[in-house]
Amino acid sequence: MSLRFATAAAAFAALTLPAFAADQVEKAPPSGPYKKVSELVKLPDFLPGLGQLYVDPKTLPAGPFLAYDHNGRLVSTIYMLPLDDLSNKDKKFDDLASPGGKVDHVSVSYNAGHPGVEKPHTHVVLWHVAKPEEARVAK
Amino acid sequence: MILSRRHVLWSGMALLALPRSAGPAWADDEGPIDIVMHGNVDGSHVWFDPVGIAILPGRTVRWTNRDPGNAHTATSYHPDNFQHPLRIPKDATPWNSDYLLPDESFSVVLAVEGVYDYFCIPHEHAGMVGRIVVGRPGSIPKENVSSAQPQGTKPIPEAAAHGFPSVEEIVQQGTIRRT
Repeated sequence: MSLRFATAAAAFAALTLPAFAADQVEKAPPSGPYKKVSELVKLPDFLPGLGQLYVDPKTLPAGPFLAYDHNGRLVSTIYMLPLDDLSNKDKKFDDLASPGGKVDHVSVSYNAGHPGVEKPHTHVVLWHVAKPEEARVAK
Repeated sequence: MILSRRHVLWSGMALLALPRSAGPAWADDEGPIDIVMHGNVDGSHVWFDPVGIAILPGRTVRWTNRDPGNAHTATSYHPDNFQHPLRIPKDATPWNSDYLLPDESFSVVLAVEGVYDYFCIPHEHAGMVGRIVVGRPGSIPKENVSSAQPQGTKPIPEAAAHGFPSVEEIVQQGTIRRT
């Protein structure tokens, strides 16, 4: 591979990666386009079971939402996928990123709705911490 | 036999002729009637408690959000509220609490006799609705039992349509609870 080709490939990769790949997300508040969810819609600042959420408003309703514990440390990345979309053959959710990096395990659960995502949907939680560490956002 | 909602409601209205002692929620207390907004831990289930209640005219109804992980509303079915169908007495004033955060409350006084249906804005599609029957036994005017789907209003989601206790249940039992 020539140096010129390698440079071009690297430049192309940099341009095509999601914008949040370069953002600081480990500690709250994350850099980049993320906004605190409780400042976008009327929701408690800390959601028991999920944590304190940030999202790029342009990506609503699916997300990704970044979830932090009481010490501002990232615990999970969450996607909220409306049931209507999941049962729509013409709707796809491809290439969902994990801006928080390594995923330890994944939880999927039904949610009845809340401000911001006002219809029943599915929470797909990409946990960046081990199962016992979920307790950091339990309350 | 298939009954229309209006027919079912009117069948229920006949029950209002029962003696006052028939329904425990024809309460004489002067304080507000409390309805609590609940949700389970993972947000998969949300509900009003009680979901149905019978009260006397002029009583104050107070909704309080006791769900620590969500916001809720108490919003009457009325065209003024996001083109929803009229499901409160036509002379009654519609209400919308807006989003209530945990431990916040909202109150209204229901003076016009009839049947009042209401919903939670972010949870109507999940069936979070409630019904209040206001009146003295045997006195609710039939024009205050609204059920038609006026043109230009939004249809009620299926889960919500199945969430209302019947007027008969409410009148007979006074208070209907579901968890």
